[in-house]
Amino acid sequence: MKCESAQEIIALAVYGELPDDQSPQLEQHLAECDACRRELEAVQALSKAMSLLPVEEPSANLIARSRLRLEEALDAVPHGSWLLRVWQRFWQGVGRLRAAPVAVSAVLVVGLTAGGYSGYLAGEHAHDAGHISPDLHPAQVDPSLGNIANVSSITQEPNTENVEVVYNRLQPETIHGTLDDPQIRQLLLIGAQSRVNSGVHGDSVGLLADECRAGHQCNGGPIRDALMVALRYDKDVTVRLKALEGLEPYVADDVHVRDAVLEALMKDPDPKVRTQAIGLLEPVEADSSVREVLHTVAARDDNAEIRTASRLVLDQSPQVQ
Amino acid sequence: MPADSLRFFPPSSIRSPSTPASKIQSSPGMAIDPSARATENDLIREAQQGSRAAFDTLVRQYDQAVLRLALHLTGSEQDAEDIHQEAFLKAYRYLGNFRFECSFYTWIYRIVTNLCLDLLRRRKSRREDQAVMLDASGDEIDLLTNVSDQRASANPDRELNRKFLGERIREALDKLTPRERMVFELKHYQGLKLRTIGEMLNTTEETAKNTLFRATRKLRANLAELR
Repeated sequence: MKCESAQEIIALAVYGELPDDQSPQLEQHLAECDACRRELEAVQALSKAMSLLPVEEPSANLIARSRLRLEEALDAVPHGSWLLRVWQRFWQGVGRLRAAPVAVSAVLVVGLTAGGYSGYLAGEHAHDAGHISPDLHPAQVDPSLGNIANVSSITQEPNTENVEVVYNRLQPETIHGTLDDPQIRQLLLIGAQSRVNSGVHGDSVGLLADECRAGHQCNGGPIRDALMVALRYDKDVTVRLKALEGLEPYVADDVHVRDAVLEALMKDPDPKVRTQAIGLLEPVEADSSVREVLHTVAARDDNAEIRTASRLVLDQSPQVQ
Repeated sequence: MPADSLRFFPPSSIRSPSTPASKIQSSPGMAIDPSARATENDLIREAQQGSRAAFDTLVRQYDQAVLRLALHLTGSEQDAEDIHQEAFLKAYRYLGNFRFECSFYTWIYRIVTNLCLDLLRRRKSRREDQAVMLDASGDEIDLLTNVSDQRASANPDRELNRKFLGERIREALDKLTPRERMVFELKHYQGLKLRTIGEMLNTTEETAKNTLFRATRKLRANLAELR
């Protein structure tokens, strides 16, 4: 093997991409050639140097935020398999043609063949990016057809006014069980994500929070994430307070939970939440990032009681400031 | 010759201490065994037929890896979040186009890498008004490289002392063209095979290889300024 060929494949070798059958030739050449050995060492040194910029794992907050934002965006997409396919076909059409007439005809198609499902409304809302779809009431449906999930096909008999509609019904089911039951937990997690029914949402978060306080199976994982997301994003202050309660046992051990509580202390609009957050942070008030936040809050919070409470916690610890 | 000098393989990228070892998964798609792949294909078909739950499950398989890549490449949580959002929305929109001709992992990463390339290009054009020139072989010449060389030699001590090592590395990476940066990121930091990288960037393994060479050569030149 000549130097020219060796130089070309040294980088490959360092990155584990050298075909096995070239390896012995390269080894032999390197045994004899100083210049190429130096090249090898240089590439190895580069690799080492570049590794000094480590690949960080995304924080739990970043993951939770991203997932939530994605959920909201996906919720704005028309649901129901039939409508979804129309919507997807629309985008594929847009991708190919990029022509306004496609948009108009897609909405018309949806509108005309809506059947009993307020399809037109759904199509309209699909164009409002970021708009969370409201409860769609199928106002024109015969009340005897309860709990319709979606319409999957509509076929018209040719030359007649007869139409065959295939639709799917929601089958409500009930399950009884204790909070330890994994099925119950899974359903609670789904309930905690419910954006439509706020009573269910609130109850789910409350129950999950109680689970965490009782110390059952809350380390890492979806339940802790759901509580952190509820703490950050829920509009109902009672739910946020419940979520805080649930996270309390984990503030000491879990840095991500601690960060979430610190964020609540700094940014939550409701003073009750901020006050409770201070309480939660007392066991870790020696932590430097916690102290920093407490200092900021003691100086800048709008609420005098909260400023005092923060200062009290800071003064408790004998740490030099 | 002592044996260890002939060992080619680089030290694995140093991960931040908060990462548990079990999370290091450079190519989850590659490691999937046939039965798991069959299950994933079922999920995909379900999602293609409109099941949001199936799509959500698919997202969960890959979203952390996507965030990890976007975060390291862009250095910004906000940008990583935006890329995550756009990538999975696109996947949802165009899911019907997926015809199982490659792995779902490759398909998703194709979307993600394209979004990353777009972002890198936007950043570059924001930083410089200079046009990117092409040399005789059609490679992009980075005009900025020459400019900052002059700046560094004007005041080498201040340059060196001012910045931390990590930032210097990011600067060296910034001097690569977007494609070079992308290939290096996928090869060095994410540990993917050149063949996979070629598939993801819609090019050949050979082209990916050459891009990697150019990237390593440039990086060595850029980092040599440090000494």
